Amino acid sequence: MKMRTSLPVVFTVPPLLILGVLAFVPMFFALEIALQDRELSNEDVHFVWFANFRDLFADDRFLHSVSVSLIWEAVTVTATMGVAILLAVLLFETVSPRLRNFLCALFIIPALLPRVSAAFVWKFAFHPLFGLATLPLNLIAGHPVDLLANPDTALATVAIVDTWQWGLLFSVIIVKLLETLPPQPLEAARLDHAKTWEVYFYIALPMLRAPLISLTFVKMVESLRAFDLIYVMTRGGPGITTETLDMYAFSQGFIESGRISYASSMAVLMMLTTTIAFTILWKWARRWQEV
Amino acid sequence: MARSLSKFAAWAIIALVVFLAVFPLYWTLISGFKDRVDIVTTTPVFIFKPTLDNFAYVFERDSVRGALVNSIIITGSSVLIGAVLGLPAAYAVARYPMRFANDIQFFVLSLRFLPPVAVAIPLIVIWLDLGLYDSRIAMIATYSLLTLSTTIWLAIPAFKRVPREIEEAAVMDGYDPYSVFFLIAIPVAAKSLIGAIVFSFVLVWNEFLIALMLTTSDAKTLPIVASELTQLGRDVPWGILNASVILLSLPPLLFLGVLSRFLSSALKTRS
Repeated sequence: MKMRTSLPVVFTVPPLLILGVLAFVPMFFALEIALQDRELSNEDVHFVWFANFRDLFADDRFLHSVSVSLIWEAVTVTATMGVAILLAVLLFETVSPRLRNFLCALFIIPALLPRVSAAFVWKFAFHPLFGLATLPLNLIAGHPVDLLANPDTALATVAIVDTWQWGLLFSVIIVKLLETLPPQPLEAARLDHAKTWEVYFYIALPMLRAPLISLTFVKMVESLRAFDLIYVMTRGGPGITTETLDMYAFSQGFIESGRISYASSMAVLMMLTTTIAFTILWKWARRWQEV
Repeated sequence: MARSLSKFAAWAIIALVVFLAVFPLYWTLISGFKDRVDIVTTTPVFIFKPTLDNFAYVFERDSVRGALVNSIIITGSSVLIGAVLGLPAAYAVARYPMRFANDIQFFVLSLRFLPPVAVAIPLIVIWLDLGLYDSRIAMIATYSLLTLSTTIWLAIPAFKRVPREIEEAAVMDGYDPYSVFFLIAIPVAAKSLIGAIVFSFVLVWNEFLIALMLTTSDAKTLPIVASELTQLGRDVPWGILNASVILLSLPPLLFLGVLSRFLSSALKTRS
């Protein structure tokens, strides 16, 4: 199609303009607000330049929330990819293709649930008195166990729910990817008496290196959106043990003090670090895929 | 012997995961039909006299009804905007040689990197200044950012999978570029495109954080109202909660088949 036509311009310019306005105007405002001392209850607004950022780095609770976010990121990404790969290999090895398709449909269910629903379903299951998931724990411990109220277990418990949603979804994706592989290399390895795990670890998974890297990348981006789960399950508690960055920004901006400028300075920092980190990672992953 | 043992272990693990995938939702569903006494018990009750009280209560509450209407209008409009503007953009990027094609794709993807808090906080100020805070219009505009970028991102590969020959044959037959798009590309790619649109629907129907920050009463969506119910005090009405969670989760689950097929077809052709 080498015709001269207005189609590319007509079709791309309006949507991109709208996207640009919807994305860049808030970004610009976020920056402006971060440099001010705006509060929800106060009409007076002054520019304070970098005072908010200076305060942030002297704020122990902020630094704590950064470390919670980093731990959350590491734990959920690793758990999701680990569960997804193991489960996918297991399904691919043991289950016939027809049954596999059916099971794959079932494994998508948790990911389709709104995060609020998933959070509630498991909050209910982990209820210390009549939760189904705590029932065996109570029997072992001999007293009611409240995993979400215990500072040592709260974050891990929320991470289980995240893995429940994402790990199962990704296992379906990896099964479908395994199905696209040519069977000959795997059969050849089996004829050479390779053990099952060796077939996957040395042959099948390396062949899927590029999509697996993309999936890890997707999960890293999505793990930043832990807010819904944490908000419903623990509200950042007990104390501040599960308070991630977005949770802290929310509570500074809304619940506790209405310090919208302070919250915005956190948001700007998040925006900068994630955009820079993910742009570099994305370009780097692209290069890997081309090799 | 060892072989059959490991086979057995594999099936046991798969059975356990199937149980974990399905049972929590099933349990929530039946708890929605239970009386309080059947829920607040230390031994799980499987056989009970079902009651419709919880669902009746949920549907009679003005807050839930209002939120349901808001959710339908807000997600419906933003999904429509995403499709009407996003599909043509995706087609143009997929089919026409453009100098910035890669940059456009990356820009659309990078919108997903933005932390929702970072978008929501300035939007509060913007919508307050415009007098549109806590309105459906503001929510539709904000969600269009999500639906538009998702639809474009997912529809580009769908259009690329349409065989070029079909479109070229249509051009030979005298179709102009716009007719090729509307009469050939869209119908041929329809299945995948519907998958992409449904995906954007699920995304905004389930969205929580932005709605939490941008609505206070008039434009509250269903996830917000459902979460408010879950934050009730000591004497928690568990049956009502379970019923409201089922109501919230039902629409995305209706599309399970569509999305599962979309996932399969999108991954099958990638290699």
